[in-house]
Amino acid sequence: MKIWIRQHMAALAGAFGHMLTSRGSFALNVLVVSIALALPIAGLTVLDNLQPVSEELAVEPEISLFLTMATSRDSAIALAPAIRRVLQDNKSAGKIDFVAREKALESLKNKTGMADALATLGANPLPDAYVLTLAGFWSAGDTKKIDTLTTQLQALPNVEYVQIDSAWIKRLIALLHVLRLMLLFLAMTLGVVVVAVIFNTIRLQVLTQHDEIKVSRLVGATDSFIYRPFYYTGALLGLVSGSVALGAVAWGLAPLNDAITQFAQLYGSQFRLMPLNFTTSALILTVGTMLGLFGSLLSVQRHLARLN
Amino acid sequence: MIQFQQVSKQYAKEAFALSDVTLSVARGELAFLAGPSGAGKSTVLKMVAGVERPSSGTVQVNGQNVGKLKPSGLPYLRRNLGLIFQQQSLLLDRSVLANVMLPLLVTGASRVDAEKRALAALDKVGLIDKAHAAPLSLSGGEQQRVAIARAIVNRPQIILADEPTANLDRASADKVLDALKAFHAAGVTCLISTHDEHILQKAERVIYLRQGRLDMSAQYPTVAA
Repeated sequence: MKIWIRQHMAALAGAFGHMLTSRGSFALNVLVVSIALALPIAGLTVLDNLQPVSEELAVEPEISLFLTMATSRDSAIALAPAIRRVLQDNKSAGKIDFVAREKALESLKNKTGMADALATLGANPLPDAYVLTLAGFWSAGDTKKIDTLTTQLQALPNVEYVQIDSAWIKRLIALLHVLRLMLLFLAMTLGVVVVAVIFNTIRLQVLTQHDEIKVSRLVGATDSFIYRPFYYTGALLGLVSGSVALGAVAWGLAPLNDAITQFAQLYGSQFRLMPLNFTTSALILTVGTMLGLFGSLLSVQRHLARLN
Repeated sequence: MIQFQQVSKQYAKEAFALSDVTLSVARGELAFLAGPSGAGKSTVLKMVAGVERPSSGTVQVNGQNVGKLKPSGLPYLRRNLGLIFQQQSLLLDRSVLANVMLPLLVTGASRVDAEKRALAALDKVGLIDKAHAAPLSLSGGEQQRVAIARAIVNRPQIILADEPTANLDRASADKVLDALKAFHAAGVTCLISTHDEHILQKAERVIYLRQGRLDMSAQYPTVAA
């Protein structure tokens, strides 16, 4: 065990040594791999930031049921069980709030500052209404369920109009879905690029250390002893490149956020892009390291086998 | 200790590098392989080290059938051998000391222990003062003595040397040979290939090869197989 640990430490030291002695080429390789990793990381950062926004919109869509002006207050209140039944029939959970027309008018006055204009109307122009806050809606498929629900609610007695702006939610969810797929495809493609770059880097290293490998074999080195420094070099390349890519993306958010903040403020939002959290960053570094290890594994198996 | 039993080696459709060779080298013996270029001397040494496998016949080293060893078993065989190659095989980007430490590091020795033993090996070949020098700053004879230090640092049971005095002047060649003889005197089995007449004239045992076969009619002091 002691020897095994010592040999791993020696291989790691060897990989660091190689990294330091060929600083120039290692830095160039890091640059190439980190560019390849930075693109999906940037995409993931944007999606990660948009996800809560889209979930907030999609998770609790609101449906407003406006009743006819002729509906009495008693009839309006009596409609609640029927609405609840429609929700149950569609296996939908949600909150049902009755909004009396007086309260709606009061709210409108307070919100818009149009108190003077509304006062000139004399009578309250607003009908009684129900606001349904639906829960558990996540995907583009769920928006179809909202459409069905809307149709059934529209068919209830005394319902004048059902309002739900689901089209833009649908579009946003569909867009995020497409973006997620594109990001996955991009990440997979660039993952192959990373493996190819590391494969080639290790190939060149095997060639330059050809004599050392040959001599090591003749003095009794096992394959593991010979292969190990190359594995560590590949893993280090992936880890360092992943760190550089994460750092570059986080650093690049600052100037982007200036523009985003200005834009978001126009809509009264405080939205800004935040760097990836610790868990996601750690996961990305692990993936980078594993890609490096995989690239070196392929290269070592292919090129060192030829030297046997 | 080393036994060849009707060993032949053929590379593809080329002529036989070795043909029906049967020989043995006893424990603690100093034997020389002689013969012209292409006679098969290097092939014999490579087979002992498991670098080449026989096309037919058996090669046994310390009772192990080398031809049947799995690739994973070869490193452990080689740790009992000290190899000195025909061409300079020192790693030129490392110091003399680092070159000598290599066989110890591959077996898992600590750096401190490896350095101590490598310095002792360099002392035995008279090169301790060159421990931190670059191999290229040494003469051909000194480089070959570094190779000997690397071969003996693991205290091997057998030393295999392929033309260790080739391209050396007489004085350097004698120093290299003296170093090898000193290890033989300490009980190490030595099998050395050479075509150096000067060495062969003084040899106690010479195995003569010609065109891949044992030549029993050669004129050196002892011709035995």
